Formats: sequence, C-alpha cells, structure tokens
Amino acid sequence: MTQLEHVYPQACWNLFERGSRAIEFLFNNPPGLLLVDDSLQDIEPVELVGLFKSENVYRQVPVALILTEEKAKEIDFSLLEVDDFFLKPLNPIMAQKRLDLILSRAARALDANPLTHLPGNTSIIQKIQSLIEQKKHFALAYVDLDYFKSFNDKYGFSRGDEVLMMTARVIVNTIRSIGGKNSFVGHVGGDDFVFITDPDKVEQACQMIIASFDSIVPNFYDLEDRKRGKIISIDRQGQVREFPIMAISIAVIFNYGQLKHYGEASQMAMNLKKIAKKNPKSSYVLDRRKST
Amino acid sequence: MEDLRLEAKKKVLAIKDLPTLPQVLEEVSKLVEDPNVSTEKIAQVISKDQVLSAKVLKMVNSPIYGFPRRISTIQHALVLLGFNVIKGIIISTSVFDIMNTSMVGLWEHSLGCALASSVIAKKANLKDPEEYSVAGLLHDLGKVIALVQLPELKTEVEELVKKEDIPYYLAEKKVMGFGHDRINAWLVDYWNLPLRLKEGLAWHHQLGMAKHYPEVAAVVHLADFLTRVFEIGFAGDDQVSKLDGRVFKILKLSLSKFEEILDELCDEFIEISDLRPD
Repeated sequence: MTQLEHVYPQACWNLFERGSRAIEFLFNNPPGLLLVDDSLQDIEPVELVGLFKSENVYRQVPVALILTEEKAKEIDFSLLEVDDFFLKPLNPIMAQKRLDLILSRAARALDANPLTHLPGNTSIIQKIQSLIEQKKHFALAYVDLDYFKSFNDKYGFSRGDEVLMMTARVIVNTIRSIGGKNSFVGHVGGDDFVFITDPDKVEQACQMIIASFDSIVPNFYDLEDRKRGKIISIDRQGQVREFPIMAISIAVIFNYGQLKHYGEASQMAMNLKKIAKKNPKSSYVLDRRKST
Repeated sequence: MEDLRLEAKKKVLAIKDLPTLPQVLEEVSKLVEDPNVSTEKIAQVISKDQVLSAKVLKMVNSPIYGFPRRISTIQHALVLLGFNVIKGIIISTSVFDIMNTSMVGLWEHSLGCALASSVIAKKANLKDPEEYSVAGLLHDLGKVIALVQLPELKTEVEELVKKEDIPYYLAEKKVMGFGHDRINAWLVDYWNLPLRLKEGLAWHHQLGMAKHYPEVAAVVHLADFLTRVFEIGFAGDDQVSKLDGRVFKILKLSLSKFEEILDELCDEFIEISDLRPD
C-alpha cells in the first residue's frame, strides 16, 4: 500500500492497518477509491467490501483489491462487488495506469439514479424481464408519494430530495431485512420507486415501509406545518389550499409464471396504483387476481 | 482565554473515537448478530448509552445520507441506517480501558436524565417524548468528550470542584472558559444534529437562550435537577443543580402534575439501579 502511495502521490491517501478501524471512517468520509489489501488480519477483505458496497450511498465509490495470485484464484468476482484488482508484487507503471483507469471509469455515469444511486430504469426493466423469462415467482411493487408535489412547491427541490433520500433508505432497509433471493430495489425517478420481493413477504414489507415512512416524514416539515399536520398555500388563482402531510402509496402485482413481458407488469401496476392513490393516507393495494 | 477556547474547540471536533463502557456494547454486539431481532429491540438497548446514541445520530444526520438535521430519535435512525451500518458502528467502537468510576457515574446520570426527560415530556403532554429522552441522554456528552480529548483540563476541573465545593459546570467555566454545554453546541453543529436536540443540549443551563424549542431545554433542565435530587449516578459534583423556576411556566406544569412526575420517577429510578454495569 505504501508502494502505491509512492506511485500515485497526487492522491490524498488514508492508510489503515486494521480493517475495523477503517469502517467508521469510511462511512463518514467515503473516499474516491477504496483499496483493500488481502493481508488485512482482523476482518476478511471480502467482508469489509461487502459491508461498504451494499449501502446505496456508497455504491458509487470504486473498490479494488490487492491480492496474491493464490487469493485471486479463489475469488469469484461475479459474487463480489469490487471494481478492479491488483496482483502482488505490484508493478509500478501498471499500478499507476490502473489507478488512472479505475478513477476515470468510476467518474463515467452509471445507470444509477444520480440522487439515490439506486439502480435506474434500464436495470429495473432488465431485472423484471429476466425474472419473467426465468419463470420466477415474485411480487413487484410500485411505490410513490402522495402530496410530494405540494411539498416541493412549498419547500423547494432540495428539501424534496431529502424526502426522496429518506424514502430510498426506508425501502432499501426494509427489503433487505425481509430478505429473499430475488429481492431488488430500484428508483424509476422523481418520487417513483420499485421493489421486488418473494410473494409471501410483500404484504409485511408494505406494512413496514408505511409504518416507518409515516412516523419519519413529519421531521421533514417546518415546525408550524408539523404542528398543524398540513401545508397551507395560496395557488395562482389566489385560492387558499390545504395539503395533508405526505403519504406513501404502494401497488403490488404478482407473477406466478403467467406474465410474458415487462410491459404487461408495468401496465397492471399503473392501473392498480390509481386505486391506492384514492386513499389520502398511506396505503397498499395487492393485485387480488394473483391466483388466476 | 480566547486562544485556549479555539484550541480546545479544534481538539474537541477532531475526536475520532468516542469510547464507551463495555456492557451495552457487548449487548448490542450480540443483538446485531441475530438476524431475527427487531430494530425496536436494538434501539431500546442503544438508547441506554449516550456514546452509541450520539454515534448513530451523527451518522444518520451526516450529509452523505442526504437529510442532515432531520433525525432525532434512535428508532428512526436505525430504520434509516439499517443493520449493516449499525454493525459497522458497533465494530468500530472501542471500550474505555480503565473502568473509571466517574465514567460509570456519568453513564448512570445520563440514563437517569433520559428517563426523567421522557416522564416529564409525557406528563407535560408533549408530542414525541422519545425526542426529549434523547436530549436528556446526550445532555452531558460534552463531559465525555472533555474526558477523552482534554484530559489535563479535566483533572484541573475536578480538583477545583473539590477544593471550592462548586458545581462542575462552574468549575469548567473557571478552568476552561466554557462548559460542557458549549462543547455540546460545537458538536451538534459539526455533526448536523437537529435544532431541537441542539436547544436541549446547548441550553439546559441557560433556558432563556432556547428560542425555537424552549420545551426541550426546559425538560432537560428539570430532568437534570431531578436526577441529581434522586442521587442517580454522578455528574461530576455532589451538588443539586439550581432549579430555574421558568420550567413550570414553559411546560405548563401544575403542582399536581409535578407530584405525579415525582411519584413515577420514584418507581422508575429503582429499575435503573439494576442496569448498573459491574
């Protein structure tokens, strides 16, 4: 590692000998690049990378491993979220060029949503289509926020973005805690999110997301609106209008092998969402035609 | 004095590792290993430790997550951080090597104050009593930081408390030129904690300064007083703090409500003594 520091003096390096000491630092000060040497003693390098990369807020940080040949043979890179690796002993020119490459590649845009870094539309469609083609059973949920627009109008976009970041965290952590082989969370854009879980777990997921969202969202309003429990604003016609505190709506459709195409799934979900939206409070609607 | 303050502020904000006592840390470490344990359960245990609570709130309010100054309860913080991050925080937290008696006393005093804050908030019909409890728990965080970052000054303060028989808070001011409440204010700003916590942490000795959330400062002030009256833990001196009469007006507390608070605390404080780490 100190060798790399010499090869690449233009970077601002922070070296840690113990992985456990690095974790809190990483969470608080995500670096431009994380390099993990496989000689770390106190924590498995693979575990350290997993801990860091599985958080949506840190996913954009490129991670590279520094490995011995033996170790490199053992590692299955399809299962590990790293972006590159170096072999020991390091070749200085190779190392320098590789660092250049990793950093510039990371700078290029991903499909990820620029705000939440969750997978965006391309990944969402690919994921759903691949599950359909594999005839997997799954529940697909479309999530959006009620009265998000009036919140944005009153408080401005950056306050709106705060709410979207919070919503993303609530969905991600709920889906992860519920588990399941095919679970997935994506961000379509704006206040539209998508998640996928096992069919038997989706109702519990909806309930947990609603409970968390409803209890946390009042914190995002100013004190007076929070006390009032609503926003009061005057529209362009000079009319006084009231908008309730934001709520979350979830529409869920199921695939038991009957779906042929992604488009079918999204059409069904859109229709269902209109029903969920009729309720001004947070609510979820399950597609009851699931058994047919 | 001005230079000393600037120097101290730099040192305080440079704090990298906030160590805590072993018992709660062990308990939480065990809990996070169990995938079936609920966030409520973990929140309950973390809420007993000011250092872990402070770390969790610091993390969730960091700009990296995208909603600084919004989250003031442990339960919400855990929902938003998730198991993974909590685990990371726990792994990265170290333990005080020497089981310093003043640390144990301070731990108990903080826990007592959290409990008292929650009881007072409920009796005063305030919304979200959990938030008041967090403010009570963290109100002496500045003392822990001083212990770690400014150990030389700490000894001087303690000696002055003994020699002149004055409250810790006044001794801090005489020695350092500022008290733990000022340290709290620095930290709250630096860590992007919500304004309601700031007013409780920074103004529990100067109620008049809390302009936005006077109830939080008043609850913590009264809770601090009651915890000392009941002699729960040790906050650096043997004194009962001076009670500012304005709390009753700010919280609209009648005498009978106040008596109810005392009754409830009598019962609840007995349970705290069971939590004392060995």
